[in-house]
Amino acid sequence: MQMLRWGFRSLCRSRTVGSDAYSLKIFLPVASLGAPLSQIPAEVLSKVRNYREYHFQSSHGLHDIRYQIDQDKIPAAKEPVDPFALVSDELSIIANRLQSMVVSKVPKLASAAEYFFKVGAEGKKFRPTVLLLMASALSMPTPTSIAVEVASSFQKNMRTRQQRVAEITEMIHVASLLHDDVLDGADTRRGIGSLNFVMGNKLAVLAGDFLLSRACVALASLKNTEVVSLLATAVGHLVTGETMQMTTNAEQCHSMEYYLSKSYYKTASLISNSCKAIALLAGQTTEVALHAYSYGRHLGLAFQLIDDVLDFVGTTASLGKGSLSDIRHGIITAPILFAKEEFPELQAVIDKGFDNPANIEAALDYLGKSQGIERTRALAIEHANQAIAAINALPESDSEDVLIFRRALVDLSHMVITRSK
Amino acid sequence: MAHDLLRFLNPHRSPVTAARCTIKDGRAPSFYLYYSREEIFLLSERVISGGGRILLPSLLPCCVFVQSCAFFSVDYSIVSGRRLEVRMQMFRWGFRSLCRSRTAGSGVYSFNGFLPVASRGAHLGRKPAEVPSKSSRGVHDIRYQIDQDRKSAAEESVDPFALVSDELSIIGNRLRSMVVSEVPKLASAAEYFFKIGAEGKRFRPTVLLLMASALSMPTPESVAAEVASSFEKNMRTRQQCIAEITEMIHVASLLHDDVLDDADTRRGIGSLNFVMGNKLSVLAGDFLLSRACVALASLKNTEVVSLLATVVEHLVTGETMQMSANAEQRHSMEYYMLKTYYKTASLISNSCKAIALLAGQTTEVAMHAYNYGRNLGLAFQLIDDVLDFTGTTTSLGKGSLSDIRHGIITAPILFAKEEFPELQSIIDKGFSNPANVEAALDYLGKSKGIERTRALAVEHANSAIEAINALPKSDDEAVITSRRALVDLTHKVINRTK
Repeated sequence: MQMLRWGFRSLCRSRTVGSDAYSLKIFLPVASLGAPLSQIPAEVLSKVRNYREYHFQSSHGLHDIRYQIDQDKIPAAKEPVDPFALVSDELSIIANRLQSMVVSKVPKLASAAEYFFKVGAEGKKFRPTVLLLMASALSMPTPTSIAVEVASSFQKNMRTRQQRVAEITEMIHVASLLHDDVLDGADTRRGIGSLNFVMGNKLAVLAGDFLLSRACVALASLKNTEVVSLLATAVGHLVTGETMQMTTNAEQCHSMEYYLSKSYYKTASLISNSCKAIALLAGQTTEVALHAYSYGRHLGLAFQLIDDVLDFVGTTASLGKGSLSDIRHGIITAPILFAKEEFPELQAVIDKGFDNPANIEAALDYLGKSQGIERTRALAIEHANQAIAAINALPESDSEDVLIFRRALVDLSHMVITRSK
Repeated sequence: MAHDLLRFLNPHRSPVTAARCTIKDGRAPSFYLYYSREEIFLLSERVISGGGRILLPSLLPCCVFVQSCAFFSVDYSIVSGRRLEVRMQMFRWGFRSLCRSRTAGSGVYSFNGFLPVASRGAHLGRKPAEVPSKSSRGVHDIRYQIDQDRKSAAEESVDPFALVSDELSIIGNRLRSMVVSEVPKLASAAEYFFKIGAEGKRFRPTVLLLMASALSMPTPESVAAEVASSFEKNMRTRQQCIAEITEMIHVASLLHDDVLDDADTRRGIGSLNFVMGNKLSVLAGDFLLSRACVALASLKNTEVVSLLATVVEHLVTGETMQMSANAEQRHSMEYYMLKTYYKTASLISNSCKAIALLAGQTTEVAMHAYNYGRNLGLAFQLIDDVLDFTGTTTSLGKGSLSDIRHGIITAPILFAKEEFPELQSIIDKGFSNPANVEAALDYLGKSKGIERTRALAVEHANSAIEAINALPKSDDEAVITSRRALVDLTHKVINRTK
């Protein structure tokens, strides 16, 4: 934390006032220690980090803090809203629709396809949340000249189409998960057995194809060929990213650009292209659609970078899949790449491969000594900031609801950075 | 000769870097002129890139040849921005008169080069050319004469594949460029079955291109010639796009099916999963599917998108039906026919319907196109099942008896089972034991299974021919030829031996 001393004192003063929902007590032990944060044990560090961004948003006294910008732009919403709570009703509607959309006459296929849509296996439903929030954040007010019934049915129709994009995105995502698990020979996914583990590779491949085909049919029903194009491109990117991960030769393995490009293809492309699709369905201009795309892209990249960090620092219970799984599969992620810049000898360790657990230990050793984790987090924060900038670049709106949703999108980017599982 | 023809076709005396003439049996002679790229730009205003049928009188101001021009129609196309391809299609009558006028020495252009072709004149009659309606009255008489010639010529059947082979190679090139990826391994996996030599019979694109020609409607006279031809060319390109999309979807399904079946060979070469592994095959199949969807979206026709998206779903459903049939379903002929429709016929039928819609035809005509595709596909699959028992390894490209060895019960067995109920218990035992396979083949030989399957295939082929005959009448020569070719295709499907 970098604070002006003045700001710090004011924080301490406001502690007793109790002005916001966040207690500042946690800061006091840190303050009294007065030592550089980097020396503070990780648990306190993460706790501090959990509170940092929220705190910064609610105080006026800290000029140097970048999140100040949001505070000025969105004065109405002082207390953050839980982004997931905002859309939870809609999410359950979508979940029900998804379950009915993957119904098939062939029972085995039906049970395979709905495997990851059952309650309890739906995952964090991150992508649909982003898309629904984006849809609300981009809704334009209907001109008053249009009759009320027409306006509301038009808006409801638009909303349904945007929900459909969210469903399609989730189907594409699950289809890619199914295929990826087959390719990786994974045993678990989302805390339960992976489909190929439970029902065999063939059915998993078929179920993935089935979901893709249902997504195609749903896409076609939107009757908007640009949206079809966007989401089809996203599918192509998913495949490209997976192939890039599978088939890197030694030189590409060690390149940060290659890694970021692969991350874009694998993770961010789907979110960004579907955000853009939402914007197009909302009838926004290309410029606004590009802002939506930019938000999705930076959010996705931040998400993936934090994911890579958590793969090293998280635990099995919190991740749903084994920790250190990336490195055990020989996938070199951002923290290692950053560590390698500081410790060139790490290159030799990487080249040896990671079948030998001792080698993994060695790599983790270097990682701990280096700034790899921190730099990855910093990069993720950079992307999160750019995502927030994209939201701020959206056209002005007077509607309270729209502002709340835009605020929620900003909060979502914070949650992406600060999540611990 | 080429020189003279060059001058004839090159009125502006643009510098030509090379010229070539090819004459193939049964085809009109083709003349290829190679221009520098700059010249192409200069010529572009009078050439419609990609092809077009332009009658010489309206295009080239060669006074000397005005009379004889009535005998020609010329296709111009710019190939890859470098080559101006000129194909001259001549009427037999015009041809003979040309030869006669050779000695008269009319104009600067001599036709010495045509003599060898003239002696093979009988072949030219196979390719009836468009009759220029705008030319002199004398030509109208020619038209009837041509009809007579054509009728005698039409008794010789046209090779459907030859009719569209040029277009097929254009499509093949476009397909290879469409599946390019920046990731090398993915690119080589994706183009595995589009390389020359591994393209298969290209049955589906052939059907679709012929259907496109069979459904082309004449442009109203009121529309200007250039507008009409560019409109037609645009439509043709879109229909070719359907053929490409269909082929991509087909290959994607092949790649995944080979993974699911653990197949070793496909189209006479190693299957992709055998050569590059299961993972890359699954990925390549997904990639092709996504590229097909992007191409589909670019057509900007939501009904067509809908049709082909349904096809993808049907393919998956069919494969699942095959994989997960319970005992009762495996013995049912209806289940088998439904599965066959999903797996094979749906793609052809729905893409034929898409072609019809892009051609601007009515829903009724589109349904006829759909019926043709459906019946053709079913006939194709039934004969395929028969050949799996009666064909040989070299002719099929994949091992014979592969269906039954994988435990897939096909029509001949189902028919045989109706005659010999004891076959039921053999089927239930499964076919991992070769002795069981032998027993089943035994019953099959004693029964009429093969014959009844063939009869059913012929029935479907006849329904397909009916669908073609139900198409709205057309006087256009090319349309009639294409429809005839579609009919011939059904015969080929029934009579093929590999």
